[in-house]
Amino acid sequence: VRPGDIVLLSSSPHGAPLIRSLYRRVLAAGGHPHLRVRFDGEAEALLKNGRDDQLEWVNPASAEDVERADVRIAVEADVNTRSLSSVDPARQSLYSRAREAVRDRYFERAAAGELRWVVTLFPTKAAAQDAEMSLRQYEDFVYRAGLLDLDDPIEEWESLGATLRRLSAWLGEKRELRVVAEGTDLTVNVAGRTWIPCDGKENFPDGEVFTGPVESSVEGTVRFSYPANFAGRVVKDVELRFSGGEVVESNASEGEELLHEMLAMDDGARRAGEFAFGLNDAVQEFTGHTLFDEKIGGTMHLALGKSYPESGGVNQSALHWDLVCDLRGESEVYADGELVYRDGRFLEGIV
Amino acid sequence: VNDPRVEKLAELIVNYSLELEEGRILRVDTSEVGGPLALGIYRAALEVGAHPYTNVMLDGVAEILLGDGSEEQLEYVSPLQWNEIETIDALVTIWSEANTRALTRVEPDRQARHLAALRKLSNRRWERISNGQMRWCGTLFPTHAHAQEAEMSLEEYEDFVFSACHVDEDDPAAHWRLVAASLAARAEALESVRELRIVGPDTDLRIGVEGRKWLAADGRYNMPDGEVFTSPIETDTEGEIRFSFPAVYHGREVTDVRLRFADGSVTAAEAARGDDYLQSLLGIDEGARVVGEFAFGLNYEIDRWSRNILFDEKIGGTVHLALGSGFPQAGGHNSSGLHWDMICDLRAEGEVYADGELIWKAGRFLAEPAAEVVEHR
Repeated sequence: VRPGDIVLLSSSPHGAPLIRSLYRRVLAAGGHPHLRVRFDGEAEALLKNGRDDQLEWVNPASAEDVERADVRIAVEADVNTRSLSSVDPARQSLYSRAREAVRDRYFERAAAGELRWVVTLFPTKAAAQDAEMSLRQYEDFVYRAGLLDLDDPIEEWESLGATLRRLSAWLGEKRELRVVAEGTDLTVNVAGRTWIPCDGKENFPDGEVFTGPVESSVEGTVRFSYPANFAGRVVKDVELRFSGGEVVESNASEGEELLHEMLAMDDGARRAGEFAFGLNDAVQEFTGHTLFDEKIGGTMHLALGKSYPESGGVNQSALHWDLVCDLRGESEVYADGELVYRDGRFLEGIV
Repeated sequence: VNDPRVEKLAELIVNYSLELEEGRILRVDTSEVGGPLALGIYRAALEVGAHPYTNVMLDGVAEILLGDGSEEQLEYVSPLQWNEIETIDALVTIWSEANTRALTRVEPDRQARHLAALRKLSNRRWERISNGQMRWCGTLFPTHAHAQEAEMSLEEYEDFVFSACHVDEDDPAAHWRLVAASLAARAEALESVRELRIVGPDTDLRIGVEGRKWLAADGRYNMPDGEVFTSPIETDTEGEIRFSFPAVYHGREVTDVRLRFADGSVTAAEAARGDDYLQSLLGIDEGARVVGEFAFGLNYEIDRWSRNILFDEKIGGTVHLALGSGFPQAGGHNSSGLHWDMICDLRAEGEVYADGELIWKAGRFLAEPAAEVVEHR
C-alpha cells in the first residue's frame, strides 16, 4: 500500500480482528482504508427470496469500487460455510452471471497493474469445522501456511517467490504438458502462454504457478481427488473428459447436479481457464478450502471457466472454479515428452 | 430466536418511514451489533422489490482512524462516499453501539477535524433529502451499552425502545398514521401563534415564532418520533430557562443548565456540572448563542430520560430548545456549527401560553385540534 491509495477492506463482521489490524497498517502506509463489510445473512436473504431482477441487480457502488480502488483486500471469515447450501444453483448462477462485467473489469485493471488485490482468510470455527480441526489447530494451520510462524515471513515469501519465478520462466518455454496419475491422463497446450508465479501478492497464503492453457487444446481425462466447493455446496470425485478443449463428459459421486449446472453456466464454463501446480510445502493437508487446497505442495489444479488475462488466457465465463488433484501418490508430468515431475515434485535441477 | 418486534420495526421503517418502492436503492448503515435490525430491513426491502445493501462499521475502526490517522487521513472523504451519496435513493442509519463511550478519550480537536470533513458529505445528503431525491430515517437497535446509558437491563430497554416505536402493537403503521395526522393538525394550529411563553420552575421564557413554520416529526426521519418543532425568530427570545434534564453534547454531560436570553441571544449561562464545557460550546461561533429550534415532545410512550437524544427530545410532556443551527424548512436562518438540544421537563409543573392564552399545562396541550388521517402523505 502506497500513500494516497484507496484501499477497500472487504469482509464479514467475523473478520473484524484482522480488518482492524489491516486498517491500522493501511493508515500507517499513508493509504485511505474503506470498509466494505457485509453481513453473512444478506446473500442468503437475496439468493433465497430475491426476485430475478433483484438477483441480477449490480450495486453501482461495486462498479465504482472497481474503477476507483487502488487496492482491494478481501478477508474471508465465514460463520457458516454451508449457509447457502440449499440455494438453487440456477439462481446462484444467475447472480454470478450478472456480476461478470464488474468482475471482468476488476481483473482487467489488475492485469494492467492499476489495481492490486489480495484474498486471504481469517480463521473462524466454521472454516475449522470444514477442515475437521479445532479452531486452535486451524489457526496453527492457517498461520503456518502463511509462513507466519517463521522469524521473517517477508524474507521467506521473497525466497519462495524467487523459486516460483525461476520455475515460471522454465515452464514458459514448454509447449505441451501431460499429467498422468490414477484416473488421469490429461494433455494441455501452453505454448505462448505466460506462467504466473504466485508469491503472496494476490492470495495469502500463496505458493503456486499457473497459466491459462490454449483454450482448444485440452484433451483427455482427469480425476480430481479432492472434493470441490462452490458457494457452500460440495461435489466429490469429479471426473472430466476433455476433447478439443471442452468438457464432453462429466460425473461425480456426489453433487453431480451442481457440477452439471456449473458446466452449463455459459460456453466458457466447459473450458479450462487455468492450469496450475501447488507448491507451498507448508500446506500438506486438505482442508476443504480452495485458498489452501490449491496451494498444497504436490498438487495440480485446473479451473473451469474464466482465465486470468495476465496469463494470456482468453476464456470468458462467469465461472472460475478450481478443482484440485493430488499428485503426491504415483504420478508423472511430462513437458514436451520429457519427464519433469514425479510423485508430487519437480525433478531435481529444474528449479 | 428473532424478536418479532425487530421484524415489525424493520417493516415499519421500510414501508412507513421510507415508503420504499420497487427498484429503489437502499443503503443501511449500521454497526455489527445492529445486525438483526439491519438484516430485517434488508429482507423487508427485498420484499417490496427494492435493492438493499448494508454498510457495516466495525467496532474499534473509528477509534483507530481518530487515534492513528494523519491530518490528511482525518479530513479525507473518499470519492466512493461522494459517489454513493449521489446514487442511493434511501438511507437508514441504525444507531447501535457496543460501547457508547469508546471515543470519549479521543482528542477533541482531532474528532472535530474529522467531523468537519464529514459534514460536507452530510450537507449534500441533506440537500438531496430536502430536494426529495432521497429518503432518510435514523433509528436505534437496543444493545447492552445503550441500556446501560439508560440505567436499565437490556430486556427493560428493549421494551422501552419497541414501545416507543409502537412495534409491540398489531399495526404500528396505522398508529403512526394517526400520530402523523394529529401532529400535522397541531403544527397547523401553532402556525397562527406569534409568541410562546414557557413558565416553570426558574423558567419564564418568551419566544417569538410569528411567521415561522411548524413541522411534524411523525416517524419519517426518526423512529421513534413524536414532536412538533420550529425555528424561532432569531432576535426574539427573552427571559430565563432552567433545564431539568442534563444536556448532553457528543457524549459529555452538563447538568442543571440555566440560560438567560436578551434579544435572542444567551447573555448569561451557568451549570452545576460541566460549566466549562457549556461556556466553550457557547463560544464556538455567533450562532451558538441563539436558539435554532423550539419543540414540544409528544411521544407519551417515552416517559423517562434515557440519555439518548433520539428518545429524550420526544418525551411526552417536555419542551426542548436547541442552541445553534436552525432549520431552513421551518423558516429558520440561524447558522452555527452547534446544534445542541436541551430538554425541559414540564410534566410536574409548567405552563405554556400562546399569545397570552394558556395552551399547555402539566405536560399536555389543553385542546386537541381536529385531525384527519391520510393514507399517503
